[in-house]
Amino acid sequence: MAASTDTLVRLSHVSLFYEGGVTALDDVSLELRRGERVCVLGANGSGKSTLASVICGLLAPDEGEVELVDELVCADGQPDLEAYRRARRSLGLVFQNPDDQIVTSVVEDDVAFGPENLGLPRGEIAARVARELHRVAMEDYAQADPSRLSGGQRQRVCIAGALAMEPAVLVLDEPGSLLDVRGRSAIVRVMGRLAATGTALVHVTHFMEEALEADRVIVLDHGHVALAGTPEEVFSHGEKLGELGLEVPFAARLSQRLGLPWTCDESTLVRELGAVPDSQKGSMSSRPHTKDVRGSGAVPDLQVEHASFSYRLGSRALGDVSLEVVPGTSTAIVGQTGSGKSTLLRLVCGLEVPDEGRVLVRGNDTSTRRGRRGARRLVGYVMQHPERQLFAETVEKDVAFGPRNLGLPADEVDRRVTRALELVGLADRRGASPFKLSGGQRRLCALAGILAMEPRILVLDEPTAGLDPRGRAMLRSALARLRGLGVTLVQVTHSMEDAARADRVMVLDQGRVVVSGTPTEVFSAGNERRLTEIGLGIPRALRVARALERGGWPSLGDPLTTDELVAAIRGGES
Amino acid sequence: MALRIDIGQYYAADSPVHRMDARVKLLCALSALVAVFCVTNAPQLIAGTAFVLAVLFAARVPGSRVLASVRPLVVFLAMLSLFNLVFVRTGDPLLSLGPVSVTAGGVWAAALYTVRFSLALVLGSLVLLTTTPTQLSDALDSLLSPLSRVGLPGHEIAMVFSLMLRFVPTLADEASAIMDAQALRGGGLDEGGPARRVRSVVPVVVALLASGLRHADGLARALDARCYEGGAGRTHYHDQRLTHRDLIAATLTAAFVLTLIFLG
Repeated sequence: MAASTDTLVRLSHVSLFYEGGVTALDDVSLELRRGERVCVLGANGSGKSTLASVICGLLAPDEGEVELVDELVCADGQPDLEAYRRARRSLGLVFQNPDDQIVTSVVEDDVAFGPENLGLPRGEIAARVARELHRVAMEDYAQADPSRLSGGQRQRVCIAGALAMEPAVLVLDEPGSLLDVRGRSAIVRVMGRLAATGTALVHVTHFMEEALEADRVIVLDHGHVALAGTPEEVFSHGEKLGELGLEVPFAARLSQRLGLPWTCDESTLVRELGAVPDSQKGSMSSRPHTKDVRGSGAVPDLQVEHASFSYRLGSRALGDVSLEVVPGTSTAIVGQTGSGKSTLLRLVCGLEVPDEGRVLVRGNDTSTRRGRRGARRLVGYVMQHPERQLFAETVEKDVAFGPRNLGLPADEVDRRVTRALELVGLADRRGASPFKLSGGQRRLCALAGILAMEPRILVLDEPTAGLDPRGRAMLRSALARLRGLGVTLVQVTHSMEDAARADRVMVLDQGRVVVSGTPTEVFSAGNERRLTEIGLGIPRALRVARALERGGWPSLGDPLTTDELVAAIRGGES
Repeated sequence: MALRIDIGQYYAADSPVHRMDARVKLLCALSALVAVFCVTNAPQLIAGTAFVLAVLFAARVPGSRVLASVRPLVVFLAMLSLFNLVFVRTGDPLLSLGPVSVTAGGVWAAALYTVRFSLALVLGSLVLLTTTPTQLSDALDSLLSPLSRVGLPGHEIAMVFSLMLRFVPTLADEASAIMDAQALRGGGLDEGGPARRVRSVVPVVVALLASGLRHADGLARALDARCYEGGAGRTHYHDQRLTHRDLIAATLTAAFVLTLIFLG
C-alpha cells in the first residue's frame, strides 16, 4: 500500500479537534522513515501529545489521511479500526509518568506484559525480556518491585516494556520530564543505542538540548507545524522560538551573544573561541553581587543542627545534616533522587521530626507540638507537583482555602488572595477553574495558595520539574519577585543553573552533606570532580569556561551565569 | 509517608509456599479461610492457630511484614472485640460497672472473634505476600475461565484485581501528600470541631479523585499502547504447572479442614 516500504509513518493534512471546538492538530503533514529520529518541540498545549497519540495509533484524526507501518488506518477522517489494531502491534509508546505505565509489581513481569498481549510463545517472551532489560541496563533488577526503584529506573523499565514488543516506531512523549538529570541522560543514552538498530524514534520533549541529536526537529504551535528541519535549521530561528514559548540551546544563545558564527554545538563553540588570541592575562574580578550571608549577625530563619532521620522500615534518609538560613536569602539544595533532599524539606516544615539533632524555625523547635505549630505558621511548603492538590471550582476559592482556615475576616481573605494572585501573575484568571489552566499556570495557582498564608520562609521541592520553558520562566520570575520582597527561599532543584543563582548551595548525597557554601565555593575547581561523581555536574557557563581554560584561555574567574561568562570572555578579548 | 499501606505487597523469597502453583494456593487458602471462619470451640481454635503458624513458618515471610500488612485492620479488630465484650450477655457476669457488664460469654466471644478474624487476615495476607500480582491474575484468570465461557468477564475481573493491587500504594502516597499539603494550609483532618473535620475531607477527596482520574487516563493509554485487548489471544510468560508440591499442599489443607469438621 505504501509508496515506499521505508516510510513507516505518513500523515497528510491531518486535523484533530477536541470537544468545545479546541483545535489540537491543524493540517499537519509529516513522514517518518525507518531508523529516523525526529524530535517534536512545542509549548504546553501546542498539540505535541496529541500528535504522539496519532502517530502511535491511539487517536484517529477528524480530517486527513494516516498511514502507519504500511496500513492505511485513516482516510478522510474515517478510521479503519481493524487496520489500527494491526498497526498498533508495530508501534510503541512511552510517556511522562512511569507510574501509570507499569501494570504489575515485578519488573520482568511488566516487560513481559506487551509480548503476552501479542500472543507470543513463552520462550520468545523470555528471550525478549532478557534482551531488553539488558539494553536499558536493568537486568540486575528483573525481580525488583518497580515502586522501590527511582523514577529514572522505572522509566527505563517502561522503555524495555515497549521495546519488547519490537516496534518499528517508538514514540517517547516527554519521557524525561519527571526525572532528574541522571535519569534523563540515561534515557538519552538508550535512545542513541536504539537509533542504531533501525527503530524509528519520535521524541517529544521540553528540553532543547535533547533535540540536538535528532535527525529532524518539528516545532508545533497551536496544532500546526511552525518550524521543521534539521536541529541547526530550526534553532537558527531564535526569535521565532522565543515567541512560541521555547528557547534555543545554550551553545546557540552563547554564540549569538558573543557575535560568533551561529552554532548550537558546544564543542564547535569552544573550538571557535579557542582561536581567539589570548591578549590579556589575569583573572576576572570575583562576583560582586553575591550577598555575603555569613556572620551578618541576624537571627537565622532556619537552623538545622546535626539532624538525622530514618523512615519506618527504611534505611537512613538523612545523617548529621546541618544548615543555617539567614533571613531574606535564597538557598538551593541539590542532589540526586534519594539523596534526602525532600526529607530535609519535610523536617524543615515540621512534617517530620528528626531522630537526632534538632530543627529550629525562628526559634521554634519542631520536636514539640507547639514548636511545630509555630514552624508551620512561618513556613510555606510547595511540594513536588503541588498542582495535584488543587480541588476548588475556581482559582480564587482554591487560593482562599488557607486564609479561610485561619479564620480571617472576609476582607482580609480577599486582600491576601488578590496579593498572592498578583505575585504569581494570575490576577486575570481569578474566576477560572484551576483544572482549565495550563500546566505552568496550575503550578502558579498552587503556589499562590501557599503564598496566601503569607509565609516568611518559602520552601520549594523542585518547583520547575515537568514544566515547559514558558512555565519555567513564569515560575522563576515569580520567585524573583518574592525574593525582592524579602521572603526567605529554600529550594530543592535539579538545575545547576538555578543553584548558581542562589545565595547559598548545599549538596546532598545519600543523606549526607557533601559540600555547602556560596555558589562560587561549591562550584569551585576543587569540587568539580566530586560533583560529577555523584552525577550532578556544574553550571553550563562554568563548563564552557573550563573547556576554554583547558584550551589555553587565561582564567575566566569562575563565571556561573551566561552573563558572567559573556562578560569574562569579552574582558579577555579586549 | 504517614499512610504507607502495605496490603497486598509481594515479598520476594524462595519458599515452598512461594513456589506453589498460584491456582492451588488460592483454592487452598480459600477453603482454609472458610474453615477458620466456621471455628466455634477451643480445640478448633488451637488447630486453626497451629495451621496458620505452620503456613507462616513455611512461607519464610518475616512476622513484621505480615504484621505491617494487617496493621490497618487491627483497629477494626479491636473495636469488634470491644463490642463483643460489652454487648454479649450470655454466661456468668464477671464484672459490672453501672449499665456495662462483662460476662464470661462476652469474654469468650471477644476472644473467639478476634482470633478467628486475625487467623483469616494472616492467611489472606500470606497469599498476597507470597504471590506476585502476575501469578495472582493468571491464576484468577484460569480459575474464573468458566465464567468467561458463559459470557461473564472472568479475565477482566482478574486483571482489575491485579491493577488494583498495583495502584493501592501509589494512591496511598498521593493521599498522604495531599493531606500533608492541606494540613499545612490549616485544613488538617485533625483540626477544629467535628463539622470542620468533615469539611476538611472534601478538598482531600476531590484532589484524590482528580488524581485517580489522571491515573486512569494514563493507564488506559498505556494498556492501549501495549496492545492489551482482553484475555483472548494472550499468552503467559509464566508457566502454570502442577507439581507434587501442590498435591502435598492440597492434601495438607484437606486434612486441616477435615480435622476442624471432626473437632466441631
